[in-house]
Parts: sequence; structure tokens; C-alpha cells
Amino acid sequence: MELTDFFTNYTLRTITLGTAVLGAICGMLGSFAVLRKQSLLGDAISHASLPGIALAFIITGVKNDNLILIGALISGLVGTFWIKGIVKRTRLKNDTALGLILSLFFGLGMLLLTFIQKMPNANQAGLDKYLFGQAATLVEEDVWVMATVTGISLIVLLLFWKELKLLLFDPDYTKTLGFNTRFLDILITSFIVLAIVLGLKTVGVVLMSAMLLAPAAAARQWTNNLGIMIVLTSILGAFSGVLGTAISASQDNLSTGPVIVLVAAAFVAISFVFSPGRGLLFREIRIRRNRRELHLRKTLTFMYHIARDHEEISHPHAIKILNNFHGFSRKSLTKLEEQQFIKLNGKEWALTKKGYNEAEAMYNKMGTTHD
Amino acid sequence: MTNAQLEIQIIAALVAVACAIPGTFLVLRKMAMISDAISHSILVGIVLGFFITQDLNSPLLILLAALTGIVTVVMVEYIQKTNLVKEDTAIGLVFPALFSIGVILIAKNANDVHLDIDAVLLGELAFAPFDRLLIGGMDIGPKSLWVIGVILFLTLLLLFLFYKELKLSTFDKGLAATLGFSPVILHYGLMSVSSVTIVGAFDAVGAVLVVALIIAPPATAYLLTDNLKKMLILSSFFGVFAAISGYWMANFLDASIAGSMTTVLGVIFLLVYLFAPRQGVFSVMFKEKQQQVEVSLLVFLLHLQNHTDPKERHVNHLQEHINWGKVKSKTILNLAKKNNFVTIDANIALLTPKGEEFTAEALKYITTNEETAIEGLKKRFFLFRG
Repeated sequence: MELTDFFTNYTLRTITLGTAVLGAICGMLGSFAVLRKQSLLGDAISHASLPGIALAFIITGVKNDNLILIGALISGLVGTFWIKGIVKRTRLKNDTALGLILSLFFGLGMLLLTFIQKMPNANQAGLDKYLFGQAATLVEEDVWVMATVTGISLIVLLLFWKELKLLLFDPDYTKTLGFNTRFLDILITSFIVLAIVLGLKTVGVVLMSAMLLAPAAAARQWTNNLGIMIVLTSILGAFSGVLGTAISASQDNLSTGPVIVLVAAAFVAISFVFSPGRGLLFREIRIRRNRRELHLRKTLTFMYHIARDHEEISHPHAIKILNNFHGFSRKSLTKLEEQQFIKLNGKEWALTKKGYNEAEAMYNKMGTTHD
Repeated sequence: MTNAQLEIQIIAALVAVACAIPGTFLVLRKMAMISDAISHSILVGIVLGFFITQDLNSPLLILLAALTGIVTVVMVEYIQKTNLVKEDTAIGLVFPALFSIGVILIAKNANDVHLDIDAVLLGELAFAPFDRLLIGGMDIGPKSLWVIGVILFLTLLLLFLFYKELKLSTFDKGLAATLGFSPVILHYGLMSVSSVTIVGAFDAVGAVLVVALIIAPPATAYLLTDNLKKMLILSSFFGVFAAISGYWMANFLDASIAGSMTTVLGVIFLLVYLFAPRQGVFSVMFKEKQQQVEVSLLVFLLHLQNHTDPKERHVNHLQEHINWGKVKSKTILNLAKKNNFVTIDANIALLTPKGEEFTAEALKYITTNEETAIEGLKKRFFLFRG
């Protein structure tokens, strides 16, 4: 496969465009899901849409993608609001409600799917693809539908930007300001359901949730600004879509869904480790640097106490009197010498004028903050 | 009923009970979704185990796969501990990645592996009786019956041995830890049992539906009882009922057994969700309605107590004064009369001594912030509710 194939090969171009748009919309709405602690809602919704897919086929008897999408949308919405109802009305907790709806709806969907397989007009071969997704079946029309939905959700997002942002970070305050939080909640949830349903054909029921939250979880590590995060998430989502499609197209027997999910997961792993502000690597480096700094200061303070009792501050002392408890090590000693706080001479050390002043300043500062 | 049919039903029932027991504790510990994560990610373990053992029912494969489940739990907890993402996001990140690896492994080795995606999602309960366990050439039953039987036996054994500890640490973690029961050991013990059970059940009912068997029966039972023992028994009962009736439904519809088991569970849950005596939607709505009426009654009585002016106590005046509609004020007035709290003389309402006493006491409880005491008060006055 050549790079130019992406621009000349019709099918490949459609698929690439489709997964890119899908990644973008999922990223955009996924940011909200992740920040509202609704990450697993996506998982439940995507599973809950399966009976809708099957029912749409049973009722209409034809395999029309748009009808199936509407069926999936309805059953996804029913599932979502049932979850909210269970949490609100009974003592079952959020996680139980999610797991219940997820598995029960999926079970019903599977029952209907196996039932369809036995039906005489079983041109159902296409329904299986909703389980793991098959980007290869995307046609230009699908891309248009996705692009339209993306456009609409972008407009809605911009229209309600301030309200949604407020709802995200302080729901109680939003309510007291007089905004209709119920409406906003339903609005954003419905769009999340819509995004998930759109992705079913490409990524599949089982893995759709990862598509929704992995790019958002990755982007979250790089910024604390909601606007930037949403843009970044969309870019990451689109990129995982394109890269995943490219990889799965280059080999036989590779479903697109799992590959896209793995690419997105790789982005998450990279972000977790390497993001400069929150990443694990830089966090570890910062912790180590702080620890070393603390050791140096402790050693210097100890030296200051000894030097203070002598007439001449640069009177040499044996290294032996320093011990580990004072944070002393061969390395910290050379570090101190590098900064010209002490002078080393054989087995002895002596504080310099600069080191004495530094330690004195530090000591005085400590005194003022502690007492 | 043929022998194979009976065997399928026994296997399904055993799977249901084996799932319901750890499920009860997962639901009570608010960790239900971790079962979803485990059930997906063990796929990697099963595929890898299958490459090594070439036998879906081998104990080694079950152990390997269960290990993957525990690795998942550890990974989720590690990500949660880094505080980089919120808790549930950690679950949502780990299992799709592992599941994807599993799916890709199956797809890439489709020719050597007798595992297909449908089996992963649905299980192959219908074929279970054909895979027999032979010892010394003697047929002693289907392999999966033995596998799930052993798992259930171990689960029950552990349940009886550590019932007290599990109960305590589920409801009061702090107390359990102070008394010296290590929460870590209990937590990972429960996770291990869940993993092993999920792996054992996976073969029979598939990845997603094992979640239904773990969560749905305990969740349904939780809406019916407050007692842990009863909850365990009830959820096992629901599981077994769903297993057997699900089998016959599948037989009738000629569809997936696991799918119809789950559907039966769904119907049971829906019924209990709507009609449970205390926790059900309808009874909660009824209770709320009743409370509304009671509060209104109290407001009415307090109003009468406050105002001596006949004009204020005129029946017609109530509507505009407390701002109630015609129907509501009439209902409340009738309720107050039926309870002998008021008498009505020429359309002027007057508190009876019983009404005076009730109102005074209720007011005292409200002002001293002891609203719970009102429940007892209602009983003492034989409050008749409309």
C-alpha cells in the first residue's frame, strides 16, 4: 500500500475520511463524558444499542443502515435513561446500573441476532459487523451523515459552550444561576449516544466506549483548558482512526475496531508517561530532584551549625563527622563543591563565605516560617 | 427431555449460582463494573492459554486466564492510584485494550485456533454435552460440568469459611481492618474467585453475558431484601430460574441459550424494579405521594392552630391562603375530618382536642429537629392516610 492510495483509491479514501470524522466527533463528546465521570456510560450505551439494531431489522425486514442507526439510537437512549432512573429511584449504585443495562440489553440483542439468523430472509450477514465493526463497509453516504452530525454537535457545543462548561465543573452552581441543568444534561447525553451509535458500524458495539474515552484521557494529560482539550482530543481521535484504518488495511484478517482501539490506547500510554505537566516520568524526575535538593540543604544546614561555633567559618572539618542522616553522600558533597558552597581538601571540608551566607539565609528563613 | 438437555440445564444452573455468589459481594462493594472489565480482558489469557494447552477446559488455561483477570484489576488500580484520570476511566481504558489484543490474536490465528468471536461473546452451551470427560476410558459427564462444579464447590467452601470476614469488610471496611482482617487479602481473594468463576462461566455463556449473571441476580435480590444471607439465596434462585427457563425459551425460539437466559434475567429485573414492595418504582412513588399528603395535612393543622380569626379558618378561604387547588384542599379537609383532627361548624374548621395534641407534638418535633420521631407519632394517633 502506498501513501498516495489514500488520495486515489476511492474505498480507502472514504474509509479514512470516515474514521477520521468519527474519531473527531467521539473525541469532542468524549471529553465531556470523561470529565463528567461518565466514562463507562459509553460502554453501557454502545452495548444497549444492540437490541435496537436487531429490532430495526426484524420490524422493517430490510437491511437499511439509516433505519438500523435509528433503532440503535432509540434503544441506546432507552438504556441511558433507564440507567439514570435506576440510580435515581432505587438504592442500586451507578456501577451496578451500568453493568445491568449493559449486559441485559446486550443479551437481548444477542438473542434477537441469533433469532434473525434462523429467519428465512436472513440476509443478516451484515448485522454481525456491528459487534466488532468493519470500516471496509463504509460508503460515502456514511461519511456525509457523520460529517453532518459532527457539524450539528459542533454548533450546539458552541451555542451552549458557557453553560456546558459550567455544568461540567460545578453543577450546583449552574443550577443556582438558573440554568436548566436537566435540559443541558439530556442535551449532552443525547449527543454522546448519537456519537456512539454513529461509530457502531466502524468500531463495533464492544469497543466503541474506548473510542470515546481513550483520546479524551490522553488529551487530558496535556492541558488544563477545556477548549484546548476538546480540540486536542478531536485531533488525537481522528489520528487514531486514520492510523488504525491504515494498519488494519495493510494486513488480512484484522478488524478495524480493535486496531483503532489499540492505537488510541498507545496514545494514552504515551501521554501517561511523557506528558510534561502530569506525566509519570516527569513526576518521578521532579520527586527525585526535590529529594536531592532537600538532602543538599540538610547537609548545608548541618555544616552551618558546626561552622557557626568556630571563629573562622572556613575552618576545615573531617568528612567523617557527616553521616547519612544529614543527607550526606559523596555525590551531594561534590554537588556542594560545584556550587562553591564548600571547599574539599583531602578528607576535610570547609564552608566558603558564599556557602555560609546561603546557609544562614536558609536557616533564618526556616526560623521565620516555623515559629 | 434428553440426557444432553438435562446436562445443559444443570451446567447453566451451576454457572448461575457460581456467578451469583461473588456477584453479590461485587454489587454490595460497588465494584460491579470490574466484572465487566475482567470478563473482557480474560480473552487474552484464554487465547494465550489455548495456544499452550490446545484444550479449552484445561485447568492450566483456566488458571492463566484467571491470572489475566487479576492483572487487569491490578492495572486498573495502578492507573487509579496515579490520579491521572478519574476512577471509572481507568476501567474503561484497560479492558478494551486487552480485549482488542485478544480479538486480534484470534483473528490472526484463525486457522490454528478453534475459537471464534461468536463463541467468545455467546459461549457454546449447546455444545457443552459433547465434550466428555473420560477417566480411564470411562465417561463421567461433560467436561464443563466438572469445571464449573469444581469452581462452585471451591466458591462455596470459601464462602462458608470466610463469610463473617467478607460480610464485615463489605459493610464496614474500617472496622474489619481494625479487627485485623486484611482488606487487601479479602479484596484480592474476592477478585481471584471472581476471575476464576468468570473464566469457568465464559466457556458456557460468553464474555458479556457472564456479566449479566454476575450483576443482575444480586441487583434484583438487593431490591427485595436487606439481609445478606437472604440476598445470596435469592440471587442464586433468580440465577437458576433464569438458567432453566432461559434454556426452554431458547429451545422454543431456536435462538442463543445465553441470550435468552439474560433476557429472562432482564424481565425478572424489570418486574422487581417496578413492583418490589419497598424499593420498587411504584411503591416509592406511592410512598412519596403519601408523604406529600401527610405534610399537607400537617401544614393545614398548623395553620388552624396559628389562627383564631374565623375568617382565616373558613373552609373556602383555605384555598387562597395556603395556595392549594380546590381538589387538594377538599382531600386534606376530608382526611383531617376522618382522623377526628377537626370539626367543621358552619364552614369554619376547628381543631379537636386530639388535633390540638397531635399538632402541638408534631410542631415540637419539627422545631427540635427530631423529624424522625413523627413516624412514631403517626402510629400513636392511628393516622389514617388518604
